[in-house]
Amino acid sequence: MAKSDANSDRAYDERPRPLAGVRVVDFTWIVAGPQATRIIADLGADVIRVENEGHMDSLRGGLPPDGPPHPDRSGIFNNFNRNKRGITANIHHPRTRELIEQLISGADAVTENFSPGAFARMGFGFERLRELNPRIIYLSLSGYGHYGRDSSYVTWGPTAQAVSGLTYISGLPDQDPAGWGYSYLDHSAGYYGAIAMLLALRRRERIEGAQRIDISQVETGMVMTGVTMLDCQINGRPSERIGNRSRHPALAPHGAYRCAGDDRWITIAVETEEHWRELCEELGAPELAEDERFASLEARLEAEDELDAAITECTREREPRALMFALQARGVPAGLAQNMPDKMQDEQLAARGFYRAAPSPYVGDRFYEGLPFLFRQLGWDVHRGAPGLGEHIDEVLTELGCTPEEIAQLRAEAAV
Amino acid sequence: MSDAPPLPEFAASLDGAPILDRVRVVEVGDLGEVAGRLLADVGADVIRVEPPSGTDSRHIGPYPGDEPGVETSLRFAAHNANKRGVTLDLEHAEGRALWRRLCESADVVIDGSGHGVLDALGVGWEARLAGGWAGPRVWCSITPFGREGPWADWASSDLVQLALGGPMMSTGYTDHDLPPIRGGFDHSYWMGGEYAVVGILGALFGLDAGAAEGPELVDMAIHDAVSATTEGSFPSWEYRREINQRATGRHSAPGPTPEIQFPTVDGRHMNVIGGGQPRSARYLDDMLEWMDRYDAAEDLREPRYRAAIFAARNEAHEERARFSEVTKRFVAMLTTEEAYRGGQSLHLPWGIVRRPEENLDDPHWTDRDSFAPLELPDGRQARLPVAPYRFEGVERGLPCRAPLLGEHNHAVYHEELGVPAEELPRLAERGAI
Repeated sequence: MAKSDANSDRAYDERPRPLAGVRVVDFTWIVAGPQATRIIADLGADVIRVENEGHMDSLRGGLPPDGPPHPDRSGIFNNFNRNKRGITANIHHPRTRELIEQLISGADAVTENFSPGAFARMGFGFERLRELNPRIIYLSLSGYGHYGRDSSYVTWGPTAQAVSGLTYISGLPDQDPAGWGYSYLDHSAGYYGAIAMLLALRRRERIEGAQRIDISQVETGMVMTGVTMLDCQINGRPSERIGNRSRHPALAPHGAYRCAGDDRWITIAVETEEHWRELCEELGAPELAEDERFASLEARLEAEDELDAAITECTREREPRALMFALQARGVPAGLAQNMPDKMQDEQLAARGFYRAAPSPYVGDRFYEGLPFLFRQLGWDVHRGAPGLGEHIDEVLTELGCTPEEIAQLRAEAAV
Repeated sequence: MSDAPPLPEFAASLDGAPILDRVRVVEVGDLGEVAGRLLADVGADVIRVEPPSGTDSRHIGPYPGDEPGVETSLRFAAHNANKRGVTLDLEHAEGRALWRRLCESADVVIDGSGHGVLDALGVGWEARLAGGWAGPRVWCSITPFGREGPWADWASSDLVQLALGGPMMSTGYTDHDLPPIRGGFDHSYWMGGEYAVVGILGALFGLDAGAAEGPELVDMAIHDAVSATTEGSFPSWEYRREINQRATGRHSAPGPTPEIQFPTVDGRHMNVIGGGQPRSARYLDDMLEWMDRYDAAEDLREPRYRAAIFAARNEAHEERARFSEVTKRFVAMLTTEEAYRGGQSLHLPWGIVRRPEENLDDPHWTDRDSFAPLELPDGRQARLPVAPYRFEGVERGLPCRAPLLGEHNHAVYHEELGVPAEELPRLAERGAI
C-alpha cells in the first residue's frame, strides 16, 4: 500500500491532490508564513507568492550552493517555497494594484505574516478583501496576534520561543536556558496556519461569507505548555528545565550519552526493568544490573548522576549507530542523535520516500523534505523548486488577461 | 487602562456552529492525543476510547499533590480536554464488535495505539480496507515510524524521536562537552499531532471534493514529522554540505555566531535577536538613544556598525560580534521587564525568557482570551491554553474537562449506538466495556 506506492515515484506523482483547484494569493515571507503555504502547496493548491522587490524576503539573501548570494539561488528560500509560483508587484502602481485585486477576487485565500496593521496599510484590510471577494479566507500570522494590547510587539522565532516559555524549559538545570537551536515556532506557526486554512476551506462549504483567521505565533508555543502550566497552578511547582531526564513518567536512565567519534551521542530511554537488564547486557556491564545503587527505578532516580556517569563509561568507546541497532534489537528505546548526513542515510525515511528530488532552473536537482504522512489514494508531491524573483509574472498576468504588450509596459514602468 | 482594541469579531458566532461541525472522531491509544485535542478544540465530537483500566496516559503524571489516580492526571487533563470518553476491551470479542460500530459511526479514526496493534486484533486499518465496514472515511494511523519500513517495529519515546529526527543535534550549548538537548516537553507528540491534523483535514477535503473515493489512510510517522521540523539544518546540508552546530540559546549554524541570550540585572535572561544589531537601520538611532540614557552605547555610533546592517549574512562578523558584546553589557543594566518593554516599544524584537506559567498573568493574553477556564475532576479550577487560532465571528467555547473513565458509555453506546441500556451492565460484567 503506502510503502510500495511511495517507492514508485511515478505512481505517487500521478495521484490526485486533495487541494487541486484551490488558489492562494500568498503575501507571506521569511519562514512562518511560507511554512504554512508550503504545506498547502504540497497538497496541491496553486500558491502564488506576491513579492515586493524593494523590500525583499530576507530568506532570498540566504547562501546559495556555490558562488555569490543571489535572490534566486538561496538554499533556505528554495526549501520553504518549493511548489509555489511567484510574481513581484509594486502595489503603489494603480494598474498593478488592479491586477492584484483581480487575483484576489478569483482566489480562495489570502495569506500574510506582516506586523499587525501593515497589510491593511497596504490597502488590503479585511473589509477591502471581502469587498473584492465575498468568500475570501484571510489568514494572518503574527507574533502576538492582531488583537490585544501588545499586538504591535515584534517577534522572530526565537523571540516567540522565549516569551512562550519554551526557551526557559529547554536545557540543563545548572546551565543557562539552551532554548531551541532554530526557529521552532516558525514551523509551529506555519503548521497551525495550514490547519486553520484547511479548517476554513472545509467550513466554506457550509457557510456564506468571508473568513478571517488571526494566528499568534507565541500562542502556538503556549498551547504546547499546558501540562506544565497545570502542574504549576495546581501544585505550585514552577516549571523548570531538566536536561534530557524524564520526570513524568519518572524514568532512569534517560538521557543522551557520549559515544566514539566527534560529538556523537546516543539517547536511551529505559522504561522497564527488562530494558535496564538488556541495556546492561548490551553495554557489557552486567555488574551495573547487580549494583545496589541501581537495583530499582527508585534507586536509579536517587543516583542519576552516578548512573549517567557509569553508562557514559560504557558508551564512550561504542560506535553509536551500531549501538542503536543493538539496543533496538533488544527492544530498548534508543536512538542516535542524528545530524543531517545521518538523516540522509536514514533507511526508514528512505523507505517512506521522505526526501523527494525535484528540479530547479536556479539550483539544479535537489532534495526536499516531504510531508510526514502517506495517503492511500490521494497524494502530495514536490514537483519544482521555489520561483525565481518574478518568475511567473508573464504566466500569471496572462492568466489575468494581460497582453504581452501590456506586460512589457508594466515592466517598463517598474510596476511588476 | 488598556488601550487595546476590543474584540468584537470574537464576541458572537456567525452561524451558531463550531468551525469543525458535524465531524465525529474516534481516538484510541495515546500517540494521537494531541491530534484529537486539536480537533476537539474546534468543535469535532472526539470520542476517546480506553481500556476499562484506563489508557496509559492516565497513568502518567503530574498529579495533584503527586498522588497518582486514574482520574487525576494533569497530563491526561490537558491532552484530552473537550473530548468524550468510553471504555471497551479490544481483547474481548464483544469489545471489538462495539469498537467496529463506533468506527462505523465516525468520520475519522485516530489510531495511536502503536504499530500493528489493532491490525493484529483484526480491527485496524487492514480490516477497514478489506471492506464490509460502513466507516470511517478517514483512518489516521499515528505511529512512531510509520506503518512499514525497516524501523516500523522499533521502540520509541519522545527523547528518541527528538534525537533521530534531528532537533537535538541543533539544540544545546556552544560547549559540546555538554550533550545535545531535548526541548521540554513532549514536542515530538505535538509535531506528530499537528501534522496528523493536516493529513486528516486534507484527506477529508480531498474526499469531499471527489478527488478519491475512500476510505483514505493517513499513515502518519512521528519520525517524519520531527525530521521535517529542523529549519536551517536541512538547507545547510543540502546546499552547502555544512553541518549546523548547536550554540547556547540561539540558532545552530555551521560556524560561530554572536551570543543573543543575555543576563539581566535581576538574574534572568533576555533573547535579543541578532545580538542587538537591528534588522533595519531605521531602528538603530532609537536603540542608540535608549542606550545613551545609560551611557551604554560605547562605540556603536561609528559608521561601520550602521554599514554592517546592510552587509550580507556571511560578512561583517567583527561588527556583529561587537554589537553583541555592547548590547550584552547594556542589558545587564536593565531588569528583564525594562529590557522587554523597552525594546518592544522601539519595535525591536526582544523577547523575555519566561517560565510558561508567567503568561497566565500577562494582560495581553487576557485581552486575547488565550486561556480558558478548566475544571479538573476534583472540582479545582485552572486555566488551560487553547488551540491557537481565532476565526472571526466564532466564539471560543469554554473547554469541557477531560472525560472520566467510561463517563460517556451510556450516552454513546446506548443513546447513540442503540445498545439496550440493560445490556451495558452485562457488558461491563463480562469485561467488554
